[in-house]
Amino acid sequence: MTNPDKTGLKPTCREAHRLVSEGMDRELSFVERTRLRLHLMVCDGCTRFNGQMSLLRTAMRRFPDEHGK
Amino acid sequence: MHRQLEQMRPQLVRFAQLQIRNQALAEDAVQDALIAVLEKPERFTGASSLRTYVTGILKFKIIDCLRSSTRERQFDTDEGQGDDELIDALFTANGHTVAPPQSWGDPDTALEQKDFFRTLELCLEKLPAQTARVFMMREWLELETEEICKELAITSSNAWVLLYRARLRLRECLDLNWFGQRSPQ
Repeated sequence: MTNPDKTGLKPTCREAHRLVSEGMDRELSFVERTRLRLHLMVCDGCTRFNGQMSLLRTAMRRFPDEHGK
Repeated sequence: MHRQLEQMRPQLVRFAQLQIRNQALAEDAVQDALIAVLEKPERFTGASSLRTYVTGILKFKIIDCLRSSTRERQFDTDEGQGDDELIDALFTANGHTVAPPQSWGDPDTALEQKDFFRTLELCLEKLPAQTARVFMMREWLELETEEICKELAITSSNAWVLLYRARLRLRECLDLNWFGQRSPQ
């Protein structure tokens, strides 16, 4: 394997992490979405990563905090 | 209102500087935003907090500034080439995470705390300059990737990689400095 991001038959955490991030900036292809979904179904770590990325986005949109009044 | 706005000024300048590298231009953008609020105080209806209202106006001023200043376009896409190590370090050779992300508990709890945003701000300030800039344009100014690429004359894949790296670094920084101290529920 020369390029570690190159997609093998089974989506890896490495690929899933990248797709979670890119999915926030562009529309993923059908194949990418499917691979990501399949991986998230079986991987707690990447599912948490996905949730953490959503939290980061929510936090940035509220920035600076609403509570610093 | 004047006094409240003055209290916000330092933080707003720090934010503007994450995107406008030139300090004088960043201060100008903040000044413009504050003047805009003070000139038409009746426009502030109180539906949101004053801070949110000013921030909204500042975002437009920053976007204007980014669009009009050509010298801001010099963009070093080489930044963080070595960052692939950052990504490599997270995964094993067969693509598994070295240390799977741990639970951050209830997300709403974090978002309700002022200190959380202070920690996030410190993490943003630690990002490499160009990476921070792209990330702030995307997540704070909420610009689409195409527009960011146009403004900075970079390719979409450049932008995606920079955004991905920014998110990985921020995740790690928050994990260490905020969530790490708190035991998962």
